[in-house]
Amino acid sequence: MNQLIERFQLCIAEGNGTELAEIFSTKAPASNPGLFYDLRQGSNAQQIEDYIHYTITPRNGFPFDSAEVNAWTEVFVNYWKAVGELISLHESTDQGKLRDGQFGEVYDVWKAYTNSLIKHHNSSVLPFWTIPCLYKALTELRTYAIKADEQSVNTKGNVTFNTGLQDDIVSSVGKNEKLEDYARVLNRVFNMCLQDRAPIEYSRKWGTYYTANLMFKTYFKLNAISLSKNMVQAINAQFDMPPLHRFPNSEIVTFKYYIGVMTFLREDYVQAEKNLTEAWQLCHKSAYKNHQQILTYLIPCRLITTHKLPTSELLSPYPRLQALFGPIAACIRKGNLAGFDAALSAGEDEFVKRRIYLTLERGRDIALRNLLRKVFLAGGYEPLKEGQTEADLIRRTRIPTAEFAAAIRMGLGADGKLLEDDEVECMLANMIYKNLMKGYISRERAMVVLSKTAGMAFPGTGV
Amino acid sequence: MAQPQPVQKNKVDWSKAVRDYVQRAFAQENNVAGVSREEVQEKLKQVITAVAEKGMMDDVDWASHPLPQQFVLQDRRRALGVDGQQNAWPTPASHLADPLHGHTNNASLSPSKKRKSTDASLTDHPDDSQPPWRKTNSRNMFEDRITYANQGQANRVDKKQRKNKEKDNFINSKFSPAELEKRRQRFGNISTDVTPPWASPRTDDAEARSGPVVGTCQQLEKRYFRLTAPPKPETVRPLPVLEQTLALLKKKWREEKNYGYICDQFKSLRQDLTVQHIRSAFTVDVYEIHARIALEKGDLGEYNQCQTQLRALYSQNLGGHPEEFLAYRILYFIHTCNRTDMNDMLADLTPTDKNDHAVKHALAVRSALALGNYHRFFRLYIDYPNLGGNLMDKFVDRERVAALANMCKAYKPFVKLSFLSFELGFESDRACLDFLVQKQAQHLIQDTDGELCFQTGKAGLLFDQLRAQAFAKVDIKGQI
Repeated sequence: MNQLIERFQLCIAEGNGTELAEIFSTKAPASNPGLFYDLRQGSNAQQIEDYIHYTITPRNGFPFDSAEVNAWTEVFVNYWKAVGELISLHESTDQGKLRDGQFGEVYDVWKAYTNSLIKHHNSSVLPFWTIPCLYKALTELRTYAIKADEQSVNTKGNVTFNTGLQDDIVSSVGKNEKLEDYARVLNRVFNMCLQDRAPIEYSRKWGTYYTANLMFKTYFKLNAISLSKNMVQAINAQFDMPPLHRFPNSEIVTFKYYIGVMTFLREDYVQAEKNLTEAWQLCHKSAYKNHQQILTYLIPCRLITTHKLPTSELLSPYPRLQALFGPIAACIRKGNLAGFDAALSAGEDEFVKRRIYLTLERGRDIALRNLLRKVFLAGGYEPLKEGQTEADLIRRTRIPTAEFAAAIRMGLGADGKLLEDDEVECMLANMIYKNLMKGYISRERAMVVLSKTAGMAFPGTGV
Repeated sequence: MAQPQPVQKNKVDWSKAVRDYVQRAFAQENNVAGVSREEVQEKLKQVITAVAEKGMMDDVDWASHPLPQQFVLQDRRRALGVDGQQNAWPTPASHLADPLHGHTNNASLSPSKKRKSTDASLTDHPDDSQPPWRKTNSRNMFEDRITYANQGQANRVDKKQRKNKEKDNFINSKFSPAELEKRRQRFGNISTDVTPPWASPRTDDAEARSGPVVGTCQQLEKRYFRLTAPPKPETVRPLPVLEQTLALLKKKWREEKNYGYICDQFKSLRQDLTVQHIRSAFTVDVYEIHARIALEKGDLGEYNQCQTQLRALYSQNLGGHPEEFLAYRILYFIHTCNRTDMNDMLADLTPTDKNDHAVKHALAVRSALALGNYHRFFRLYIDYPNLGGNLMDKFVDRERVAALANMCKAYKPFVKLSFLSFELGFESDRACLDFLVQKQAQHLIQDTDGELCFQTGKAGLLFDQLRAQAFAKVDIKGQI
């Protein structure tokens, strides 16, 4: 215990929040693996409070007033209690004998410890620079919440039946009891940070984006992504918030990434592209996984907004992305419909897991556009009339629907035989409707009449 | 201004204390937002009648007696508590403790929910126990929605609820205010200032039970009404009776097709299953049949409640037709344009699911619409398994508009009406024509060489606008 107090005193004297956070760890440091046992054996539930209270006084060189002495005492006592549960958790894990609900118990004691930090931050007894302790406590609490829920689903199943006065038999499915509870704890911290009125140099407002990012993570995990929107709005509504760029880059990147994904899922691809691109540019060079994560959404996003596909240079450092997008991108490029369908269904599980399936699916339009464009190119030029030169060459813009139909049937391979002519027309109509092809269908003449203006028949593709 | 009519009508000579109490009830400064004058009036009548009936008019301390509006609020809170919480029945222990610690309820009495105190905000308050994502439109919440087949039925149920409320008040009045007053005196002064007597929970012998009810009712038919207290065994039908009930209801539905009646009966059937904790193949059967009937009538709200329940029941491997209902679920997500849930559903699909005929159909519908392939969509609309068509009916109009927006931009100068009618899956050209007229597009229809044509080239943005409207508001609940 003394060793811990000494480290504590040093951090307090230096005002080093990051080091301070390390003291309240969930694992004994590698340099002193027996620390937790020493802590528990060095005191008992009756004595611990008096001991700490007596030790961290101004008399012993701590610069605390009585309120802060009480606050830290509470924090230490709660941490000490949590250490007891942590020891038994580590032991049960090592022996492979986890009790039912054990993670839930750890969650509860760690939450009590976290709450003591929140409480004294909320009343501004603990100085703002010690907030990294809270960050760390929250990060760990999240892990325990998730594990506790996993454990309870494994033991109790994920269906809860009604036993009371309800009309229907099932009350809820797929409970995330602890993680939901965690979200509430987190929400308190978020609001505390956001609404802190202290002068900006001492303000907990600097903790806003850190907690916001944790909330994003939690809401995504809870499948309650729409709630992130309220949080973002709350930040935007806070008029005296320091500008985002003054926060640490790591926080900006994470924040932009989540905003990007959030807008991506709302199908606001323009906003999504903007935020993801900013995240991509700010992301630290060595943050390989983060780059990969950003690209996972940025690539489908750009497929929709600008019909751009990733180059192989872009993908080559990321074998996972290469596998994910490589085949489907190649098929889109070539206008290979059958290949596209196969690639989409081959990657379905992975795409769905990352929530990009429904977006990538729309890439089929681009594949089809590329195929039709080839038909157009193969159609060649209108024959030159008297007196015209090479410079006057214009492409043949009246194309029988049958030519397109033949191309699509070929492109679909075996499935092409089932394709009806009306469906081909429907596909062509779609191309025109979506502005991927410019012109109109004349049913009377069974002909597609494409734009004569050079470069306008298939906008953005040069022809 | 506030002369209480109902009291004056009774030609009884009220004491000054009572008259002051009445005055107080209607006084401007005691107005509570959201409680109407009528409600206060009705409640006031009940309060006074209850006390009068017990002959305790002079025993009650009218000057400090809670006002009717406070009783109204209390009733509402209680209704919320019972509806919203899983364990609405207090455990025996909490029960015993309550009269003394009743003031813990006080917190929820204060009009402002905001807590300034740091301590209080750290404890878990019960009113927060429902996280916001449970309150949103997630599928978990549909179970709380009640729909009525038609307005008539809704009214009937309203009446019932009113009756119910009266009953509730009766129970309430049995304990408050007179008896509570007595009790307050019995307990001395401890509770007078901190415990509002009306906040005391109902004490009812039946309440302590939270285990399954064992029903004894032998009647096959039973009207539904929402429970506000544990049911009496004699009003609950045991499983063998319920099995006969289901057979009867199936027969009645075939013969009479009275949806209001059937829906009501099924709801009481479901309730009896719930209070007796019957979770078996029979339960699945009941929910499936009710869901199908609701679909047949296009009552998506009721259907969705059943669907939510079925999904959980299927996960318990109790049998039934999970694939059929999985297909409905997909079609339902198409109707509600719910991408998030659609994605989650795709994530849960197993290869076996994907091979099922009905699921395949629903997935094909999804993919056709995702790609704007109206041609294929309307082929699938004409040829569907089970009751899929009833669900598709819910969004076929919208998709027709979307397809027309598409065709109007692509086809110039016109298309034949017969082509349109075929492509949009109409039963006849006549139906197609009616649809166009209904969409105010009659001016685009022309007779060319004895055949009706639709001037797509001249439609301009008409259908684009209609399309935007159609997709802007999707009635998620789909309730009737």
